[in-house]
Amino acid sequence: MLLDIRGIAAGYGKIAVLHGVDMKIGAGEVVSLLGPNGAGKTTLLRAMTGLLPLTGGSVHFGGQDMRDAGPRGSAQAGLVHVVEGHRVFTQLSVTDNLLLAAYDLPRRDRGQRIEEALAVFPEIAAKRNDRGGALSGGQQQMLAVAQGLVRRPRLLLLDEPSAGLSPVLVDRVLGVVSDLRAAGTAVLLVEQLIDKALAVSDRVYAMAQGRVVLEAKADEPELHQRLEQAYFGETSRA
Amino acid sequence: MLTAILLSGLAVGAVYALIGVTYNVMFSASRVMSFTAGQLGMLGGVLGAAFIGVLGLPAIAGFVLTLAACAAIGVLTEIIAVRPVLKSLEQHLYVLSTLALALMIQQFTAITWSTEPQPFPSLFGLQGGGVGDEKFWLPILACAAVVVGLEFLYRRTLIGRAFLAIAEDNFAARALGLPERNLRMASYALAGVIGGLAGFASGQLFLAFFANGAMLNFLGFVPVALGGLGNNRGAIIGGLALGIFQQSANFLFGGVFASVAVFSVFIIVLLLAPQGLFGAPAQRRV
Amino acid sequence: MGLLKQALPFVGIFAAALILPLVSNDYWTLIATRAAIYWVLVSALNLVVGFAGQLAIGWVAMLTLGAYTTSVLVAGNVMPPVNVFLALGAAALVGGVAGVIVGLPALRLRTFYFAMTTLGFATIVTQIALAWQDVTGGGIGLVGPVMPAPLDSIFGFYLFCLALAAFCTWITANVAHSRFGRSLVAIRDADVAAESAGISKPLLLGSVFLFAGAMAGIAGGLFATLQSYISPEAFTFDLSVLFFIAILIGGRGSILGPLIATIVLTWLPEFAAPLVAWSTFLYAVLLLVIVLAAPGGIAALLDFRSRRPIEADRSIVVHTDVLPEILAGRLSADPILLKGIVLSFGGVRAIDGLDLQVEPGQVHGLIGPNGSGKTTTLNVISGFYHPEAGSVTLGTAPLPMDAPQTRAASGIARTFQTPRIIGESTVLQNVMVGGAINGKGSFVESLLALPRHRHDEAMLRHDALLALRCVGLAGLAEVRADRLQHSELRFLEIARALMVRPRFLLLDEPAAGLSGDEIHSLGSLIRAISRQGTGVLLVEHHADLIFEICDQVTVLNLGRELAAGTPAEIRVHSEVVSAYLGS
Repeated sequence: MLLDIRGIAAGYGKIAVLHGVDMKIGAGEVVSLLGPNGAGKTTLLRAMTGLLPLTGGSVHFGGQDMRDAGPRGSAQAGLVHVVEGHRVFTQLSVTDNLLLAAYDLPRRDRGQRIEEALAVFPEIAAKRNDRGGALSGGQQQMLAVAQGLVRRPRLLLLDEPSAGLSPVLVDRVLGVVSDLRAAGTAVLLVEQLIDKALAVSDRVYAMAQGRVVLEAKADEPELHQRLEQAYFGETSRA
Repeated sequence: MLTAILLSGLAVGAVYALIGVTYNVMFSASRVMSFTAGQLGMLGGVLGAAFIGVLGLPAIAGFVLTLAACAAIGVLTEIIAVRPVLKSLEQHLYVLSTLALALMIQQFTAITWSTEPQPFPSLFGLQGGGVGDEKFWLPILACAAVVVGLEFLYRRTLIGRAFLAIAEDNFAARALGLPERNLRMASYALAGVIGGLAGFASGQLFLAFFANGAMLNFLGFVPVALGGLGNNRGAIIGGLALGIFQQSANFLFGGVFASVAVFSVFIIVLLLAPQGLFGAPAQRRV
Repeated sequence: MGLLKQALPFVGIFAAALILPLVSNDYWTLIATRAAIYWVLVSALNLVVGFAGQLAIGWVAMLTLGAYTTSVLVAGNVMPPVNVFLALGAAALVGGVAGVIVGLPALRLRTFYFAMTTLGFATIVTQIALAWQDVTGGGIGLVGPVMPAPLDSIFGFYLFCLALAAFCTWITANVAHSRFGRSLVAIRDADVAAESAGISKPLLLGSVFLFAGAMAGIAGGLFATLQSYISPEAFTFDLSVLFFIAILIGGRGSILGPLIATIVLTWLPEFAAPLVAWSTFLYAVLLLVIVLAAPGGIAALLDFRSRRPIEADRSIVVHTDVLPEILAGRLSADPILLKGIVLSFGGVRAIDGLDLQVEPGQVHGLIGPNGSGKTTTLNVISGFYHPEAGSVTLGTAPLPMDAPQTRAASGIARTFQTPRIIGESTVLQNVMVGGAINGKGSFVESLLALPRHRHDEAMLRHDALLALRCVGLAGLAEVRADRLQHSELRFLEIARALMVRPRFLLLDEPAAGLSGDEIHSLGSLIRAISRQGTGVLLVEHHADLIFEICDQVTVLNLGRELAAGTPAEIRVHSEVVSAYLGS
């Protein structure tokens, strides 16, 4: 197993959000993480990469205990997190944004890695000297994903990469996920657009109220009904 | 007369501007306004006078030692007064912790150095109070050097871009794997150097005096308030404008009027434009 | 009786102070006089710094103004000499006015800015004292006022100052234990909740700045008398630091703590000569230690009650039978109406032309994906956000924008996504904050504990206990709120909102972080509240709760209404299901 999470608990201050989450992801596997708002998906990603301290459980990545790794250690190990909301640095140019993602890399490798990442997104390669703030929302999202790619991740965590994008751009970004799968990079994809996410995934986890409520293969039949039940609860079925 | 006002105004304004930048550099890295900004300026003058005037070191050695000591004080600020309270930024405990550290620095200086203003040695022998006096030119030069230096840092170096990234979006910078804590310490060291440089360059203008810290704390904060938090260009313009305004009022109507006028302008601007004249929009509260 | 027990340490301190001149010499009496004068200033400043949390670091300026006003008036170097007590009154006036002038920027400025403003003001006052030589004597200074007999003796003056100090302790304690004191703490620790409870920040802060300035002015006059000769050098920033730090070392929100700290800090430099020079350094070290290691100060060390264990295995049992008494007589036939609301943040439309009608006596659910504008809608109704277009009315009466403090009077109460609680106050005090607008007595009546103040207190206490019983927290009334579990804080917020006797209750994700049983209790509580005629607007992610208790549901997506109807209609609405499931 590339990623092995056991019994993760985490939260904000007194508010416990995650109540013991288990998850496994194999090398090269694309997994979708679904769930309604407030289910704890984003919190789970943050807890995995050390952006939020764990209050319980463990994260192993490539056999290594990540408890004290922090965001920097995670990124160095190849567990790369692209946070939600295409938060690129608006004051810096596209190449500078990518250069920062390469901060820990040897100086001589940086140029090559940046070109690699830009090759995936010709749209922003054409704007490499523009400031991040001058890009459209979709381009900013591509830049954010490209920042993740600079690290040559073994597992890329994408938190709602399609949020706020037009359908064409959603397909564009999720297409990159397919390419990554083909290239053998594992991806954990948090998505609201279930069908589009399932189309590029091997497996799916669904969360509700801080717990994993469903784990399935992406092509299982009746997945929608099972998801609906998992979210809305059995009790309310009229 | 006009030349004298303008020159002294630019000179003191350059010092206020540099202290403003000192505030900003610390703020950008940590979202903390630190009362040690003015004290760093005071230390630049006192340490310079101590190293060169008292210990008799060569000017260049005294200069380097002063900046190094101020950088160390900057890092110390980060470790003692900033890092422990970052977790609960919304409680504004940093106001108290940095105030405490600033008071400690000020009192320590008063007791071990002197409670009276002490002379700062001439560096180039250009004195006499006229237009050619180095006491006017050194702060202006220092300010220009900092403007050029920061421009180079932010545009040409990776660490400078990392500073900008942390200032804009600390969370995203951490998620990207930037060494946020080290960068923050480096920022505080940089702030120490800039504050120390301001004090060293203005040593002959303001003398080596422990109470300069409180004075610079306030007058260095005015340009920040005018220009908006974290806005270095605003701080530089605001600082120079403040210096010229203060010196004009001083020459024309006297020192008390100048102080009252500066304070009034400060209050009025803050009430009319709490985010500063070049400021950013307010944060959401709920 | 708790009151007696609370008063005991104060009685002890002042009794010891009375005996002091009999068992020591004039020197110590003078030191004690100074401590008493400082306390006159600090006790009032305590309301500003310790209670309201405003970092007024330059309050020595008011002392300076008071000292010079009294001395100048008594000496008669601008007008015919004035009686010393009249001069003290004038000092109070000058100090009070200056206090308001310096304090008012606090309404708009953030902490550091405000601290700087007071620091700047202190610098200016000293400079004026130095430069205005005709009146102040400049750097040379002038003679302080002399008290008439028998107050001109060391002992007589000491007794006078001591009596005043005791009086100040009493009146500030009265305010602290009134709705004004609780509101000040609410402004400090939960200011949006304070505004939603109808607390007017300008009025309240203005009052305490006036009060603290006036008392500092009087203290200044006494200080000048004690010094018998004043010059700007007597009013160093170190003195300001002493006042400010005494409060923080004593502990925010306490009176005993700052009193002890004032005595200790005044006495400390006398303890050993070398300490005189290092005293301010020492204060600063103490401040740093307090901030980093013991934010509660002396008061927290003395707070034995909060170390008593509370029952660990608690469950919430709501008592909806008391609701008729709580909500009696505040019914509305008018709905809350939103028409064509548009609101953007930085170019992104958070709400994009929304119409909404919240009926009294119904539970109205508001659901939708993240960023669909649910909480934003709630913030528009409660007056925190100003929409670019559209109207918000209660029936036909428009609800003023940018004025959240007006909502409580209109009978609109709310809770928050992240509970806004005063952790250092008890559960009961937190709930009493919610009833701030129900009080009748004025600030001055509270200062002097006049009948209306006592009546208000009894009424608020009664109502708050009732509200706590209703939400099932009665057993925790005297516990510090920060010791509660997260789920209990959600119910605490509802109890606080009930104090408004709301016609409309806006709940922002009240079920977040609650267990299944607690959600069930919450559901029955919300239902019962609505059955009393109160309209409830419920923003929630828990779809099962929404479908179980709502009469009406509106689904938002991208700031617009995606669907509206009964839960049964929404449950099968294809667009809703797909918005939730995202396909």
